[in-house]
Amino acid sequence: MSSIFSLTMVAETLRIAVPYACAAVAGVWAERSGIIQIGLEGILLTSAFVSVAVAVASGSAVLGLVAGVAAGAAFSLFHAVLVERARIDAVVSGIALNLLAFAGTRMSLRGLFGSASNSPSIEAFRFGPTGSRGVDLLARVLLDPVTILAVLATAATPFLLARTRLGLRTRAAGENPAAAAMSGVNVPRVRYTALLISGAICALGGVHLAFDQHRFESGMSNGRGFIALAAVVVSGWRAERAVLACLAFGALEALQIVLQDQANRSAGADLIQLLPYVATLLVLGFAAGRAAAPRGLGKHAD
Amino acid sequence: MDAPVIRLDAVTRRFGDFTAVSAAEATLSPGEIHAIVGENGAGKSTLLKLAAGVLAPSAGRVLVGDDALSPATPAEAIRRGVGMVHQHFMLVAAFTALENLMLGAEPVRSWGRLDLASAREKAQAIADRTGLQVPLDAVTETLSVGERQRLEILRVLYRGARAILLDEPTAVLSPLEADELYTTLRALADDGATIAVVTHRLDEVARFADRVTVMRRGKVVLARPYARAGAGEIRGGDLTRAIMGGEPPLPFARPAMAKDAAIVLEIKGLSLTDAGGQRRLRAVDLTVRQGEIVGIAGIEGNGQSELVRALAGLEPGATGRVAVGDRDLSRLSVRARRASLGVVLEDRHEEGLCQEATVGDNLVLGDLGDRRDGAPAFDEAAAITRRMQRFDIHPADPARLAGELSGGNQQKIVIARALDRLPRGPRSAAVLAQPTRGVDVGAAAAIHAAIGEAAASGIAVVIISADLAELRKLAHRIVVMRRGEIVQSLSPEATETEIGRAMLGQEAA
Ligand SMILES: Nc1ncnc2c1ncn2[C@@H]1O[C@H](COP(=O)(O)OP(=O)(O)OP(=O)(O)O)[C@@H](O)[C@H]1O
Ligand SMILES: [Mg+2]
Repeated sequence: MSSIFSLTMVAETLRIAVPYACAAVAGVWAERSGIIQIGLEGILLTSAFVSVAVAVASGSAVLGLVAGVAAGAAFSLFHAVLVERARIDAVVSGIALNLLAFAGTRMSLRGLFGSASNSPSIEAFRFGPTGSRGVDLLARVLLDPVTILAVLATAATPFLLARTRLGLRTRAAGENPAAAAMSGVNVPRVRYTALLISGAICALGGVHLAFDQHRFESGMSNGRGFIALAAVVVSGWRAERAVLACLAFGALEALQIVLQDQANRSAGADLIQLLPYVATLLVLGFAAGRAAAPRGLGKHAD
Repeated sequence: MDAPVIRLDAVTRRFGDFTAVSAAEATLSPGEIHAIVGENGAGKSTLLKLAAGVLAPSAGRVLVGDDALSPATPAEAIRRGVGMVHQHFMLVAAFTALENLMLGAEPVRSWGRLDLASAREKAQAIADRTGLQVPLDAVTETLSVGERQRLEILRVLYRGARAILLDEPTAVLSPLEADELYTTLRALADDGATIAVVTHRLDEVARFADRVTVMRRGKVVLARPYARAGAGEIRGGDLTRAIMGGEPPLPFARPAMAKDAAIVLEIKGLSLTDAGGQRRLRAVDLTVRQGEIVGIAGIEGNGQSELVRALAGLEPGATGRVAVGDRDLSRLSVRARRASLGVVLEDRHEEGLCQEATVGDNLVLGDLGDRRDGAPAFDEAAAITRRMQRFDIHPADPARLAGELSGGNQQKIVIARALDRLPRGPRSAAVLAQPTRGVDVGAAAAIHAAIGEAAASGIAVVIISADLAELRKLAHRIVVMRRGEIVQSLSPEATETEIGRAMLGQEAA
């Protein structure tokens, strides 16, 4: 159980990486289309909350998942409309949406469930063996429907961006919106579509967070949206690399859990918790200045 | 599909309370090359954009065939067979040529997958038919200007356009490439296409146009067939007068230069290897004396732009010595060099201008905060007014955004800033790339006069230009660059053929 290279490690890495990877891929979709998206954190939180609320109310995890994804997509689309149509600065809109998500979920938590900290538990999905051996853990992770959807969305993204009409137009809108518009591309529409996809994928991460804990906890996204954004930047806005960065981050966090288990609350435990963040800073430091952002990021077509 | 006749019927276009095009009438017919000329800011680009659905008219109608162009969008124009090539390329730099070509008109298979093979096939067929060859798999930003130009035209044809409107296509081309372009355009016109070309080079009108429309202050002031040999039609001198609304400018008088004048700008062994390991500059040696104007000729991509960038201090990898007066600049930063070296880079859009800043701010960009102790304060307002007047920047409103000015007036801002701030005399040098690119006859004369004046005051001047006629007019000496080297030095009396040969690397006959 306590070995660093074990099935437990693999399972934990995957489980931890899913929300990061979803948010990062979502960030790639948004920013490759040219819309600055710092609201990933808010989407994670909102979709986590909505999925739990609907799951509690309906008693159905599937409905919870659907509602969570719809909420994330809607939230993301709202951001795109604020930026494209109302011409609100994307950073301002992103901050506003994050604040709204924090305050809104807290308030609803209190209103719906009468608690400041968490919702009642939900069943969520339970597939696979119940044991606690590494192989059981891994089987459960791999059989989780949310994880499967997340993996599919993540795997499809590079292909969609590189090889389809939607992808080409998304990249054109992000690289040079004026040129795209002159070529007959409806840039706002392309961006709305990209942000819908982005929001839905990010929401998978949020739903995963909540279902993994079998409940919603106030502020449970805990900075993951921002770390994912860092992964996007480090990866040079490429989905596959961003996911790799998230997996690496997940592995470090899993390692930290395993090590902490071993250290067993000794003095080193607090330091070990810092490990993933220090690693992020280091990677960012090395990658800074080398990665090139989409050149039309934050620009309008006219 | 037959090429459509495009008719502008009393078309007016306003920006705020400014009228850029006023009640203009024009007819563009199939089978003809139609030249549109006029001063900077006369409204030529606006007229073309109206015809191509990029802008909607404020009043009047644009007719394509028998019906009004509505809605006025590029997509609708393309559907009706009208395509435009913009003054500033509208290409996605990070895309491959093929991706740019198909963007907005992508052939797809199931699931929206791009059908690259059929796009390539179609593109290749058009390229073979028209001679517009472009490396389709190259990333667009690595293409030369000429290739990008061809890509733009290919793209318009790819969409099935039969009317092609080109906004200053030759401004960025060498004379040779420009001739090739016109050959292609002529072939398209003979094939029944409608062709309109905006240009500032009147010799092109004389050599290639079937019909010419002159615009002045937003109005069409003249529209005639241009017959090269016939009588009764419009001729060169009339054209200049119609464009300027007055007499042609005085011819340029090259300032005299003392034979034994002191060396001001000294370049020794300047070399540069790019990130890909390509040698861009090979030990360039060049000395320019007090008051001397040296012209650099060369086919685009032979190291001219790198030379300018290296002199400006923008290429940290460059080795060799650059000195002005007796001040060694090689180790200095871009900013420190500016005190004695004025540089105008080639691409004013990317590197010369802040589109989103005002004209006033752009005119004094980099001049604020340079004040040393004891020096008189920099009078920003005075500098802006002086620079605007001296270079006749139009409209003369410092509060306007630079991006809203016509292309030629943007160029004037960049030149004004570089020349006006240099201290006069033998302690300064100016390096100007394509100083009159996209500038009208009158403004070109004003810029030439300013260059002459700078040289007369003792400044050493280097000019890089694709326009050999310009170099022969201005320079005391023309040097030819090829493959990153200076290969020959010629007198301005050399013919264009001789200079062209040197550029191509052929021995003089
Ligand atoms: N988007 C805009 N907003 C405000 N004014 C504009 C805009 N576009 C053009 N103008 C103004 O309209 C006038 C005509 O511009 P236009 O670009 O058509 O000139 P042009 O004849 O093409 O000049 P050039 O030879 O310099 O390219 C100019 O005075 C310009 O400042
Ligand atoms: Mg123009």
